[in-house]
Amino acid sequence: MLDTALAGLVNGSSYALLALGLSLIFGVANVINFAHASVFAVGAMSGWWFSVDLGWPLWTVLLGVMAVTGLLGLVINLVAVTPLAKAPPIAALLSTFAVSVVVDNGAQLVFGPETRRFPALLATDNLGLGGLRFGTLDVTILAVAIGLMLVLGWFLRATRYGRAIRAVAQDRDAAAQMGIPLARVQNLAFVVASVLGGVAGVLGGMYLNNISPTVGSTVGMSAFAAATLGGLGSLPGAVAGGLLLGVVEAFGVSWWGGNARTLITFAVLLLVLWVRPSGLFGKRSPLAAEPMTGTFFGAARTVRLRPWQVAVAAVAAYVVPAVALDDYTVQIGVQVVVYAILALSLTLVSGQAGQISLGQAAPLAIGAYTSALLTTGTGLDFWLSLPISGLVAAVLSVALVSPSWRLRGHYVSIATLATGLLVAAAAVNFDWLTNGPSGVSAIPPPTLFGAPVSAPLAVYFLDLTILLVVLLLVVRLRRSTLGRIWSAIREDEVAARSSGIAAAEYKSLAFGIGGFVAGIGGALFAQQYGYIDPSVFGISVSLLALTIVVLGGLNSPLGAVVGAIVLVGLPEALRMLEETRMLTYGLLLLAVVLFRPQGLMGKVAR
Amino acid sequence: MISRRGLFTAAAGVGATAVLASCGRLSGEQTAAAPAPAAGPIFFGVSAPLSGASAEYGKIWRTGFDLALDEINGAGGVKGRKIELLWEDTQSDQKQSVPVAQKFAGDSRILAELGDFASPASMAASPVYEKAHLVQFGFTNSHPDFTKGGEYMWSTSTTQQDHAPELADLAKSLGTKQAVYYINTDWGKTTWKLYEEHAKKSGYEIVHSEAVQADGSDFRPSLINGRDKGADVLVFIAYYQAAALLTQQAKNVGLAQAKIALPSSAYSPQYVALGGEATEGAQLIVRFHPGDPRPQVREFVDKYQKRYGKQPDDFGAGAYDALKILAWAVEHSDGTREGVRKALLEGKEIPSLLYGPFSFREDRRVTTPKSTRLVVKGGAFTLVGA
Amino acid sequence: MTVLEVQGLRRSFAGLRAVDGVSFGIDQGEVVSVIGPNGSGKTTALNLVSGVLRPDEGRVLFQGRDVTGLRPERLAEAGLSRTFQNGRVFGNLSVAENVLIGLTPTLRAARPLARWRDIPVLRWLSLLAETAVALVDPPSVRRELAEREAEVESQLDRFGDRLRPRAEAAAHTLSYANRRRTEIARALASGPALLVLDEPTAGMNPVETAEVLEQLLALKAAGQTILLVEHKIDLVMRLSDRVLVLDAGTVIASGPPDEVRNDPRVIEAYLGKRRPAVRP
Repeated sequence: MLDTALAGLVNGSSYALLALGLSLIFGVANVINFAHASVFAVGAMSGWWFSVDLGWPLWTVLLGVMAVTGLLGLVINLVAVTPLAKAPPIAALLSTFAVSVVVDNGAQLVFGPETRRFPALLATDNLGLGGLRFGTLDVTILAVAIGLMLVLGWFLRATRYGRAIRAVAQDRDAAAQMGIPLARVQNLAFVVASVLGGVAGVLGGMYLNNISPTVGSTVGMSAFAAATLGGLGSLPGAVAGGLLLGVVEAFGVSWWGGNARTLITFAVLLLVLWVRPSGLFGKRSPLAAEPMTGTFFGAARTVRLRPWQVAVAAVAAYVVPAVALDDYTVQIGVQVVVYAILALSLTLVSGQAGQISLGQAAPLAIGAYTSALLTTGTGLDFWLSLPISGLVAAVLSVALVSPSWRLRGHYVSIATLATGLLVAAAAVNFDWLTNGPSGVSAIPPPTLFGAPVSAPLAVYFLDLTILLVVLLLVVRLRRSTLGRIWSAIREDEVAARSSGIAAAEYKSLAFGIGGFVAGIGGALFAQQYGYIDPSVFGISVSLLALTIVVLGGLNSPLGAVVGAIVLVGLPEALRMLEETRMLTYGLLLLAVVLFRPQGLMGKVAR
Repeated sequence: MISRRGLFTAAAGVGATAVLASCGRLSGEQTAAAPAPAAGPIFFGVSAPLSGASAEYGKIWRTGFDLALDEINGAGGVKGRKIELLWEDTQSDQKQSVPVAQKFAGDSRILAELGDFASPASMAASPVYEKAHLVQFGFTNSHPDFTKGGEYMWSTSTTQQDHAPELADLAKSLGTKQAVYYINTDWGKTTWKLYEEHAKKSGYEIVHSEAVQADGSDFRPSLINGRDKGADVLVFIAYYQAAALLTQQAKNVGLAQAKIALPSSAYSPQYVALGGEATEGAQLIVRFHPGDPRPQVREFVDKYQKRYGKQPDDFGAGAYDALKILAWAVEHSDGTREGVRKALLEGKEIPSLLYGPFSFREDRRVTTPKSTRLVVKGGAFTLVGA
Repeated sequence: MTVLEVQGLRRSFAGLRAVDGVSFGIDQGEVVSVIGPNGSGKTTALNLVSGVLRPDEGRVLFQGRDVTGLRPERLAEAGLSRTFQNGRVFGNLSVAENVLIGLTPTLRAARPLARWRDIPVLRWLSLLAETAVALVDPPSVRRELAEREAEVESQLDRFGDRLRPRAEAAAHTLSYANRRRTEIARALASGPALLVLDEPTAGMNPVETAEVLEQLLALKAAGQTILLVEHKIDLVMRLSDRVLVLDAGTVIASGPPDEVRNDPRVIEAYLGKRRPAVRP
């Protein structure tokens, strides 16, 4: 019992240090920094380099790492966050995501992809206290973590810049009017947060023994959960959230097995959010802030195509692959089409109704599993499984997201992120239903007029036809009264409700229809590969879908299609780069978000 | 001005025409790649993780492949033609391995394919290779169903069916109360199922078993469970990364006295390097180890050591062997894709680093010789009893 | 007839009593203004009445029906429309669309089975029917939309040439005053039984304020019942039938404008306490 708790506390202190940084950055810059987990990895890797290759002692290793990650934090802010200060917050979120792709893959190139041993700079098993075994390392980690938190607390209270950070976090505009240099304060917040993240990397590296350039991802997700659990922007909340999550995870794993860790982390997060919509320590104003115009959306108008242009594009989409493209390219086309369908489901949820979802992989997974299990298990025809998949995905989407209606702004995104991860974790854990990590194989291809649809071109035609139907559906919905009602909710929920619009019901409906469309996409996805397992529906799919939608111009259905062509096609087009492929992809992604935050198909309003 | 309806009708018409015009490609029975060129280099496609979480395995493959290429091409190549590899990064993700398969299938220069690393990524791509009549040589795919994907799926990997019982026997020889941890991948789960089956039949006592996250980092709470149930032998069904972590953290939670048993996938000098002192005394069963006295192994190990400054592991040796086997198959074929399959099918006495002269079974796998037991002693792998 | 009846309303934030036992009533056709110094609880009182906030204690009766704690959308459907202190318009929608949104409670063809909205699972039938109607876009819906669009025009006409020429412009491109006009037009569109205005002239210059006053007087003449929170005393005095003065969350005076204007407690609340020596 006690040692499980201790293990949880020590592990949780890594979460706490990371969550502190996330919360600090969130408070000052109002950005969810997806690159923070990469800072952890860079801290661990450079710590390894200083201690192993250069043979530095622990304290210089820590100082060196602080310098490296502090600088990295500064660069992240200057490159990816500051330039987007006037763009919608979603743009900054995606640019930090792009930075994380760049940093992770860059670290892999610099340090090599191997896992390596983090030198045990301190003893791990030399102390005992009433049957409890632990080491100097555990004590040091806890002491350094708590010490740093105290130093940070002192810094924020007692120093001029610390107070400036707090002032900005409380009210950015008021702070600016009081003459606080926002840019400098934001730089400082990123540096401080990243220094903490780097130290967490070193401590985490020592505790975990082994590290690799991708070590940040799992720890990072838990840190997100910890920061949100405590209340975004609340520093005591981040500490409490981190330690609490560490202990809860430790006991959860102890009782239900290591397999269940992700499930536990995000189930706990969702439960807490349902009960306390702003986290344990977060302050919640009783009335949602009055949004400034176009808060979530750049003041962009959608590029409109004329009907004949659409018709020509649609015909070309059928004819060109049939006549001019080889099967490999057509196969990529199939992926583009499926991602376009997924992105269109988000166009409704995020673009039209304004609910930024980071978990659209959830209905995709539900649809894919429903179709796969029905066609393999009960021998149901694919065509019958298609609407059922959509329906099941819609119902579960609504059921999973509806407790989150009290959430606002970034909390909605985090709740959907948690939902997405939860569904994937459930697919791993619910063996009896999903066959667990082994996945579902031998999913039969659909038949049409008695012939199996399995050749790339045939699959492409089928999927493309469904895409066009979905596209038509989305366009019609957007132009209807319903579309206008969703727009009103997106623009200002409080005002919409006071105009007689039952916002929660319409948000449910948006998630329901979005879930239906994504579920259909999932069914196509399953039959396209003939094999699915939980790893297919990771966070990267959700983020890719959102990136496609944002890149295409959040509120533009055609933009979703264009975005899918670019973002799914790009990694394939970069194939000749081999090891540097993903790095280049990240850089291009970053460039696109920086230079066209309003999206490819969004036109800047005059 | 044409009406909207008219436009869409016209569009549908043209679309339908295109569909009809491409009828041949729609049925997709045979993509009928153009005949392979008879001159110039011979190409193999490699579908591998070069980025992402499994990138390090792709990197190890490269060491084995490069060594084999130098040998083959240095000796004049195959049929007087050089062999070249076409690498494609898939991150071992089935969303990417399928298009890569399509790419290889459509490239008539390619005579055979190697990979992918993880069985799911390979299995998702199998239908494409099968249709293209292209040999998919999944030399690390231990999933029992991999070679059931079709006539063109071949593997030199041991299957879990052979491996799991041997592992259970090893654990039995080390202690009486087993705690088994397996990573929550398809491979880990399948191995565990077969392990448990055998252990039950043989009456071994398993006091604790638990799935752990393959990319997890903190296993202490899970290990404390095993400790509290009095386990005296720990079995880690994992690759070397997770196995090293588990080994170290087991020591941290006070399981220092428990013996450790590992499958061959944990066999790598990296295991000792990552796990440090905690790995001392751990035992493994392997199909390959650099201390093997057979001359072809000695020669390979020397060459590998000289070129890379470290000892080869299971993945490096497996990659080297796989490429040599495919080269042999091309040598004994008519230089077509189909010919490569035929050569593998009909080949007797196929030379191999790992298996000596062998032939494939009917299920397109290898009958593996009984595994060797190794123990970590003084920071190195040594034969048990040596 | 009493349109609104408020009894003993209380609401605290973090221990601070923002509204502390407020009671008042509004009769049909009456214009009642709430005034008071900053932080006296005016806006909170409006938010409690319009359902944006829930009261800790007390009751709100609207047209004889207990609507305490009812959600704002239900109140809006029941005929209580409001505007907000800083002018909440839908920035990326056009002016006409903004007003059209205000007509949502009057839609019938586009929102079928609306009666089922209050029944938990069955409300989905209504939502799905609405989706189906949106996809099919039958003639009845198109006809209804055309009617509503005509109504929007007449709402915009209320503001002369202020909004008409900008009907298709996105609301975020409007001047501050025009945003307030758009918001008032939106609130009036559905023909509410009670119009609640939270500082409709805040940030307007005297000319614009005078213009709004004329429009509100015209509304009053047409029999519109209005609850108004306003700082500009002149406007309050000219428009109101009755004035309520709030200070520290309680009603310290109420009555006809002239009476309230001379109430010593009101003067004290606005100008601060007199020195004790002056007291009788």
